Amino acid sequence: MVESKRNKNNDYSENINSHGSEVLLELKDVHKTFGTKEVLHGVDLTVCKGQHVVIFGPSGSGKSTMLRSINLLEEPDSGSVKVLGKEYGPGLNGDSAVKRGKPLELRRYVGMVFQQFNLFPHLTALHNIALPLRAARGLSVRDAEERAASELENVGLLPWAGSFPSQLSGGQQQRVAIARALSLDPKVMLFDEPTSALDPELVGEVLAVMRRLAQTGMTMVVVTHEMNFAREIGDLNVFMEDGHVVSTGNRDFFDNCTNERAQRFIGSVL
Amino acid sequence: MNTAGVSFQWGLIWDNRGILLKGLGTAIIVSFTALILSLILGLALALARMSSRRMVSMLASSYVNVFRGIPALVSVIWVYFGWSLLFGYNFTVFEAGVIALTLLYSAFFCEIYRAALVAVHKGQREAGLALGMTRLRIFLSVVMPQATKIAIPNIGSMYIGMIKDTSTFAVVGLVEVVRVTQNLNSVNFQPFVLYTAAAALYVIVAFIIDFIFRAIEKNLSSPPSGALANILTKKQSERIAVLIGKTYK
Repeated sequence: MVESKRNKNNDYSENINSHGSEVLLELKDVHKTFGTKEVLHGVDLTVCKGQHVVIFGPSGSGKSTMLRSINLLEEPDSGSVKVLGKEYGPGLNGDSAVKRGKPLELRRYVGMVFQQFNLFPHLTALHNIALPLRAARGLSVRDAEERAASELENVGLLPWAGSFPSQLSGGQQQRVAIARALSLDPKVMLFDEPTSALDPELVGEVLAVMRRLAQTGMTMVVVTHEMNFAREIGDLNVFMEDGHVVSTGNRDFFDNCTNERAQRFIGSVL
Repeated sequence: MNTAGVSFQWGLIWDNRGILLKGLGTAIIVSFTALILSLILGLALALARMSSRRMVSMLASSYVNVFRGIPALVSVIWVYFGWSLLFGYNFTVFEAGVIALTLLYSAFFCEIYRAALVAVHKGQREAGLALGMTRLRIFLSVVMPQATKIAIPNIGSMYIGMIKDTSTFAVVGLVEVVRVTQNLNSVNFQPFVLYTAAAALYVIVAFIIDFIFRAIEKNLSSPPSGALANILTKKQSERIAVLIGKTYK
């Protein structure tokens, strides 16, 4: 049942970029203001299928806001948010006639993992995963629980299926949160500083799950301060500062960075 | 004051246990009906008060400020006699009691719910949205269960207050504990004995309600604990055990 739904969503193959790889999501000239402070000054980001994008930069640089614009948890003031070729943002100036997709539809393609895990504290690990499967995918209780169990097994937590979030360590909670997002078969996964709230000794288990996910070819956009992890998985590295994308680069970005500010930042964290 | 010559006829309580308990039953039924109604109305008011529409929010907050300030005695007289005079419609004393309590306590429940809804972390709603759930489903399956857990102790205290407030409905002739006590006293003239009995009944009920709400609270805590939780989550735990067992034998 899940398989058939997944296949139905594969009607976006016309979005091929100049390098021949499929563009999954595209931000163009995205602006966002909180009160009087503009936190995104027109950022662009193009993510292709299977790509692992790492976004880094100092606090307050707009990394999280950019990530949250992708699934419209932050509604951009202006700019284009295209996922699978469909416009979900306000659109670029001039093409207001573009028909916008609904956030609910967008979020079926985009999974998200939060810094604070955001598991539902009143539900078991299993039902944290089963609830969205029932609510957003319409699975029956039994199907949802079986799917949830297999997702828990994938992150090595099936024995904890009946545990409540308060009974799990931070690392385990984040692994459940990853399993929960993956259970909905997203096309792209967003990670908003997934290890920043964890004790140092728990970071490894979460990164291990993310590393394995990257190896399966999942498209990922990761905001992180874990520079070693970024260096390891980042196909596209994006350095942000003061609401601007200051510098981007591919795999050798960390070694051959020419941007002075990005260099200084990398030097201070690595 | 010389009390030496007064004899306390404690036996009166036992002799009239039936009628006293019946009065207590009336008090509980009136207050429980009002509890259910004011929980529903209170939730609606809380949502209205949190509405982004200024007019809706202002109406709800005016309601709260007006009805929170009215004593139960005034409220029931207003409903019972006022409606009859203004609209020619006569409520029964039971209806008047339920309506009076609901008007007052929905205002309190509005505030209790509002505080509880605000206390649910905003990340919970965001997680629901990111998982593709509708706002209604997030409210019902994510926010309300957590808000209810926060609100339950306050709702329990309020319910004890509601039962006590039914005592003022003696004034319109509702035959609850105080009215029964008044009637018995006018025949026997044993105010100390009879009102001690009335007080004891209220205290016992308060203990029982406290016990019940504690059980509900324990059931809503995570992980749920207590006998109630064991019964309610038994099937779910069994299903989880089966799912785990399929892989780990």
